[in-house]
Amino acid sequence: MLDDSKPLFVAVAEQIEDGILDGSYPEDAAVPSTNELAAFLRINPATAGKGLGLLVDAGVLIKRRGIGMFVAPGARAALRERRKLAFEDQFIAPLLREAAALGIGPEELANMITKEVAR
Amino acid sequence: MRIRNVIQLHTVNRMQAFGWPLLIMLVSLAIVLVIGGLVINVATSQGAESLTEARQGMNTGMMFNGAIFALLGPLIGFGFTAMGQYFPLALGLGLTRREFATGTVLVFVFNAAFYAVIVTVGKVIEVATGGYGLGVRFFDVVYTGVGEWWQTLIQTFILILGVALVGAAITTAFHRWGQPFLWVFWIALAVVVVGVLAGALLSEGFRRLVVDVAAMGWVPWMVVAAGIGAIGGAIWLALVRRAQAR
Amino acid sequence: MTAIVTTDLAKRYAEVNALDGVTLALEEHRIHGLLGRNGAGKTTLMKLLTGQVFASSGSMEVLGGNPVENVDVLSQTAFIQESQKYPDTFRPIDVLRIAAGAYPKWDQAYADRLVERFQLPTKRLIKKLSRGQLSGIGIVVGLASRAPLTFFDEPYLGLDAVARRMFYDELLHDFAEHPRTVVLSTHHIDEVANLLEHVVILDQGKVLLDADTDELHDAALTVSGRADDVDAFLAGREPLEHTRLGSLATATLAARDGDERAAREAGLDISPVSLQALFVHLTTANASATDPATPVATA
Repeated sequence: MLDDSKPLFVAVAEQIEDGILDGSYPEDAAVPSTNELAAFLRINPATAGKGLGLLVDAGVLIKRRGIGMFVAPGARAALRERRKLAFEDQFIAPLLREAAALGIGPEELANMITKEVAR
Repeated sequence: MRIRNVIQLHTVNRMQAFGWPLLIMLVSLAIVLVIGGLVINVATSQGAESLTEARQGMNTGMMFNGAIFALLGPLIGFGFTAMGQYFPLALGLGLTRREFATGTVLVFVFNAAFYAVIVTVGKVIEVATGGYGLGVRFFDVVYTGVGEWWQTLIQTFILILGVALVGAAITTAFHRWGQPFLWVFWIALAVVVVGVLAGALLSEGFRRLVVDVAAMGWVPWMVVAAGIGAIGGAIWLALVRRAQAR
Repeated sequence: MTAIVTTDLAKRYAEVNALDGVTLALEEHRIHGLLGRNGAGKTTLMKLLTGQVFASSGSMEVLGGNPVENVDVLSQTAFIQESQKYPDTFRPIDVLRIAAGAYPKWDQAYADRLVERFQLPTKRLIKKLSRGQLSGIGIVVGLASRAPLTFFDEPYLGLDAVARRMFYDELLHDFAEHPRTVVLSTHHIDEVANLLEHVVILDQGKVLLDADTDELHDAALTVSGRADDVDAFLAGREPLEHTRLGSLATATLAARDGDERAAREAGLDISPVSLQALFVHLTTANASATDPATPVATA
């Protein structure tokens, strides 16, 4: 359920982010509380809280004292931008590295991608 | 101090604390009555003279009737179980040794008083009814005192309390020092017993001394019994304060 | 506030040093894992911290005081031990009644719910219970006592996977609603890894590791690839484990900053080390370091 290649609290934050990106948590909607998240994921509440805290610090979530945490306005668009940057780093760069190792030029690579999309 | 919890620890199982000892006592008493009844029945068929003889014979012979140990026996175990079984659970539940010792002493005292009263009441009835009309003895025996009722009360109390304290002390020492302690204990006991026997066999003076001691009055005997109990209690309390869970 | 502080704590028995110079600080309101192989000293440490046995040397402070014979501390402390002995004549209900009186924060309604959930036969003699049912008594007492400091020493021996999961759920749920300090000692490391906020690993009576689980994620890494590349990457460093299969090799090592990048640049595959794996690596490495006769496990 959670990506174990990252620290647990990072994986928790990313899971919430995924929910925001795919519309499960629309803007201004409440996200699960620390304890709900902890019980659901069977993880320590402090870890769940740390994951949520990460998102609050990043401005993705807004804390309303006594009520809970809500998706910040514009969070979805901002997240998408950030993920795009990360996508380049995590997927495009290795792709190009491997392509270079195999002697695949940029043009050939683009063709391969176009063909794959069409399939 | 959570004394109440320690008392509860010892008494939460009422059947164990009171039910079984009393039930066993009643069964044992019933057996004595049945035997007495049978003897009297046989004697009655042989005439009045034989009946009186049978009554007196039983009344004398049963001075040493050990049937009362059906009650005292389980009570002797109280000291052992207190340390062997209740102490580890008390520590496990976060009770302190001081709380355990205080509560347990109270339980011992209460138990001794409770059963001493039962035995005394039994004895008074027994004496008043001439051995339930049969001349038998169950409560009114040498172990619990054949004197006045208050003597039985005191004697039984001291007996039960002393045995519980000594039992607790022995169990605690065993936990602390293990098997070697038991060897030392039994060897020491054997040396004393053999010493007394040898003295009695070999020396006329020693024999007289033993007879004199045995014949000493009720009060000195009670002092001796209470003294043994007090020493056992002191040793137990000293050891239990440093007793560790195993 | 710290719930537990020990300084150079030691417990020596006639033949062994069960605990040898343990210095720890455990924060309150956290779930701590106390891990170690059998005989590592976990139970001894918990027995010391609950005043059941006396320390040979060193000092400790539990909930702000010395636990030994301290009613204030001990009434706030629940110690659920795997080896707890019960009187022969006791039924679970007897234990629960006494526990109810001994712990100031006992919640009877919660205890009743737990009895129901774990299907504990409260009126059967404890002697006649199965190992799992015996564990059930401890779980009910440990949770319903709501003690500010609760030790669980292998709380679920004999319980199946379903019941263990039930225990984790109850623990998490009740911990969230009633924050307290929990010390959980267990062999099921993988199962509890996500529940723990902090981990202490004992080995041969000493602290082998004392860290937050978040940090542990980066504490070690496993690299794999061509044997020559792995050797070059290790460059004289002592790995926790190093195995070779033909021209391929895998090595697990305590991580340093920049290791991940360096490994990636060397063309090696990197994978994270789970708490369970880290535990195995650390304890086996420690065993082989102190006892050369023990072969290094290569699994």
